[in-house]
Amino acid sequence: MKHMALLRPAAVALGMLAAGAASAQTLTMGVRGGPESLDPHFSALGSHAEAAKHIFDTLVWSGDDLQIEPGLAVSWEPVDEDTWEFKLREGVKFHDGSDFDAEDVKFSIERIPVVSGPTTTTIYVRRVKEVEIVDPLTMLIHTDGPAATLPYDFVRLFIVSSEAAADYSTPETAAEGFNSGMATIGTGPYKFVSWEPKGDLVLERFDDYWRGAGAWEKVIRKEMPNDSSRLAALKAGQVDVINYVSSVDYLALERDSSVDTIKGDSVYIMNLQLDQREDTPLVRAKDGSKLDANPFRDIKVREAIDAAIDRDTMVEIVLEGLGKPANQMMPVGFFGSNADIPMPEYNPAKAKDLLTEAGYPDGFEVDLYCTSDRLPGDGAICQGLGQMFSQIGITTNVNAVSKTVYFPAQSRLEYSMFMNGWGTLTGEASYTLGGLAHSNDPDVKLGAFNRIEYKNEDVDRLLEEGATMLDADQRRATYEEAMAKVMADKAYISVVQLQTVWAAKAGMLAFTPRFDEDTLAFFIKPAS
Amino acid sequence: MLGFVIQRFLQAVVVMAVMSVIVFCGVYAIGNPVDIVIPPDATQDIRAATIAKLGLDKPLWEQYFLFVGNLLQGDFGRSFVYNIPVLDLIGGRLPATLELVLTSVLTATVLGVSLGIYAGYRPDGWLAKTIMAVSVLGFSVPSFWVGLILILTFAVNLGWLPAGGRGATVTVLGVPWSFLTLDGLSHIVLPAINLALFKLAMMIRLARAGTREIMLTDTIKFARAAGISESVILRRHLLKLISIPIITVFGLELGSTLAFAVVTETIFSWPGVGKLIIDSIAVLDRPVMVAYLILVAFLFVTINFTVDLVFALIDPRVRAGARA
Repeated sequence: MKHMALLRPAAVALGMLAAGAASAQTLTMGVRGGPESLDPHFSALGSHAEAAKHIFDTLVWSGDDLQIEPGLAVSWEPVDEDTWEFKLREGVKFHDGSDFDAEDVKFSIERIPVVSGPTTTTIYVRRVKEVEIVDPLTMLIHTDGPAATLPYDFVRLFIVSSEAAADYSTPETAAEGFNSGMATIGTGPYKFVSWEPKGDLVLERFDDYWRGAGAWEKVIRKEMPNDSSRLAALKAGQVDVINYVSSVDYLALERDSSVDTIKGDSVYIMNLQLDQREDTPLVRAKDGSKLDANPFRDIKVREAIDAAIDRDTMVEIVLEGLGKPANQMMPVGFFGSNADIPMPEYNPAKAKDLLTEAGYPDGFEVDLYCTSDRLPGDGAICQGLGQMFSQIGITTNVNAVSKTVYFPAQSRLEYSMFMNGWGTLTGEASYTLGGLAHSNDPDVKLGAFNRIEYKNEDVDRLLEEGATMLDADQRRATYEEAMAKVMADKAYISVVQLQTVWAAKAGMLAFTPRFDEDTLAFFIKPAS
Repeated sequence: MLGFVIQRFLQAVVVMAVMSVIVFCGVYAIGNPVDIVIPPDATQDIRAATIAKLGLDKPLWEQYFLFVGNLLQGDFGRSFVYNIPVLDLIGGRLPATLELVLTSVLTATVLGVSLGIYAGYRPDGWLAKTIMAVSVLGFSVPSFWVGLILILTFAVNLGWLPAGGRGATVTVLGVPWSFLTLDGLSHIVLPAINLALFKLAMMIRLARAGTREIMLTDTIKFARAAGISESVILRRHLLKLISIPIITVFGLELGSTLAFAVVTETIFSWPGVGKLIIDSIAVLDRPVMVAYLILVAFLFVTINFTVDLVFALIDPRVRAGARA
C-alpha cells in the first residue's frame, strides 16, 4: 500500500509534525452499522450501543466474554427481596469537567422511558420501581419484585450528565440536543466532535478518563454498510480496521499478507423453530391434502428433524468454517448454559426410521422460512437445512426472505417451521429462555418471543423461579436444568453458532474480539 | 400558459396523493415496523407501549389522515429510526446526492452529445465506430460491477483515488459541499464516473441517431447551399434540432438519478438520499419512505414541467404549435 500516503495529505502532514513518530494518532474504523441518534437512551440496537460506549459509560460493564464487571458502579448486592444497593465509582469526571454522582444515575434511569424509541431501551430499566439516593456514591434501586438479573440489565444503562441533558430529555428535544453535541456529555473514553446520521462519527480523546487516557487522539467511525466497499476501503488504506468480514472475503484475506484477520465467537446462534399449535398453517401431505395433526407436536418427528441436520457440513461447507455446531440456544460457558447437553448425532437412517414410527413413512411437505439479510450465512444455512430435510423424505420448500417480511409474519404466527438467529446479548440465560422458552404469558412478562406456542409446565415453573432467585449458584443450576429440558423437547433446535471476523492493516493493531461483536476504539491498541 | 401550469399542478397533487396512499398501505401490508426493530427481550407490555407511542395501534385510515393533516401543516413527521424530522433527515443528505448526480449527469450529457454528434457526422470513421462500441459496453455492463471494478483498480490496486465516502466539505450558504475542495473532488470522481457511464452511452446513442437523421434533411442541404460553414451548421441548426429528445431524456435521467442513485451510493458509501431510502425500507421507517416518495413524485412533476417549458424556448416548431 505504498500509494496510501498520496490519498491522505492530512495524515502525511500530521506524520511530519509528529517528527517521525511511528504510531498513528488517528484510528479510522469502517463499521457496518452505526447509531440511530447520539442519545444513548434512544435505541437498544447493538450498533447504537457500540457507538454510545465510546462516549458514555454503563453502570455495569460487560467484559469480552460478557461476564459482568464493575463499570461506573464498583459493587452491587441485593439488600432485601426487592432492593439492590449500588456503590458508585469515586472521582469520575464528565467531559465537561463536572463530577459523576448518584444524581446522574437516577436522572438517566428516569429519562429512559421518556425518550426511548421503537428499539426500546425501556427493557433495561423495566424492573426498576424507584431509585433512592443514599449519598452521592450510594444508591438503592427498588424493583417490582425480586429482580435477580438487574445487574445484567444495567450493562446497557448508559449514564448521561444530569446537568447537560436536563433540557434535552423529551422525545422532541432529545435528538436535537444529543446530535448537536450540546447534551452529548458522558464519562466515556472519547468526547463527541461531530456526527451525521448514516455517516461519520468523529471523536476526540478524553484525557481524564477513569480507566486512563486512550491510545488514539482521534477516532473516526465510518458507517459503511456494504461488505465489499468496507473491505475495499481497508485495502485502499482509507480505514484501519473493519468489522463483519464476509465468509467469502475471509478465505481470500487469509492469504493476504497486507491484512490481519481476527476471528471471534459470536453470541448469535441459529435456531430452528417448530410450531407446536394443534393446527399449523404451512405443513401438508405430499399430495397437498391436509394432515390429520400437526406432525411437529410428535417428539419422534422433532427428533427425526434433529437427526437429519449435519451440523459439521453446515459449518465447513455452508459457513466456510466460520461457525461452530450448536446444541443449545446459548454459547456454552454463558451463565445458565449446560455443558452436559450432548451434541446431537447426524444420522439420516435413524431419522427416516423415526418418521416411519411416527406414522409418516413417506414424509410430508413443509414451507421453511428464514431471514436472508440479517446475519452472515442465514439464507445459506436455510438452503442447507432444506436439502437435509428433503433427504429424509420431508419435502422442504425453502423461503429465505428479508427480515422486514420475516419478523412481522413470525409475530403473526404465520409460519410452521422457521429459523432465525438469536444472540444472548446479556450473557445469561434468563434473557434467552425467558423470551423464547416460557409459554407466552403477559402476566408474568415471559415468553414474549415464543412464536411456536411451546409450553412445558416444568420449564415454565423453573423459569419463573429462576427469575426471582437472588442466589447466583442456585439460579445458575435452575437455568441449566431448564436449558436441558428445552433442548430435549426439540421444539427449538439449535443448529450453528456463528463466528465474526474483523480485518485490520497488517501489524498495526492489537485487538481482542468481543462476544457481543462490539468494535471499541478504547480497547484497540496500536501494535507495539 | 397559466392554464397549463394549473393543470400540471393539479396533476401533481393527484399523483402525490395516490402515491402516499399506496406507500402507506404497502408498508402497512408488509407488517408492523415494531416487530423488526423491537429488542428481543421486550416484554408484552413494553411492545404494546412502543406500538402505542408510535401511533401504530390506531386503525390505518386514522393513521393516514393524521399524517395528511400534519403534512398540510408542513410537517412530514419524524423518522421512527432517528427521531428527527424527516425533512431534516432528507435535507441533510440532499446536497451530497445533488452534487454527485449533477456532476455525473452534466458530464455524461456534454461528453455524450459531443461524441454522439461526431459519431453521427462521420459514421464510417474508425473513431465513430470505437465510440459506438464503447457505448454498447456502457449499456450492457451492470453498474454495481463497474463500481466494484473501479474501486478495485483505482483505489485498491493503483491507490490513486479513495475507495468511498464523501471528502472534506466547505459550507457555502449553510450547505456543506464537497466539490469545492481537492479532497472532496478526489472522492467524487469514481462514483460520478460510475453513475455517468450508462447515461453517457445513452446520450451518445441519442445524439448520433438524431444527427444522422437531421443531416439528411433539407434544412442542412439548404444551409450548405447557402455557404454556411459546417461548424455553424452543427452548432446552430443541428444541435437545436436534435435537442428535443435529449432534453427529455436529460430531465428524466436527472430525476431518476436524484431519486434512485442507490447502487452507486451504496457501493461508494456515499452519504446521499438513495442510501437513506434503502436503509429506511429495511426497517420499515414509514415516515421517511412516504415523505421521500412524495418528494420524488413532486420532483418528477417539476422536472417534466420544466422540460416542457424548455422545449418551447428552444424549438420554434413547438412554440408555433402552441400558438396555433
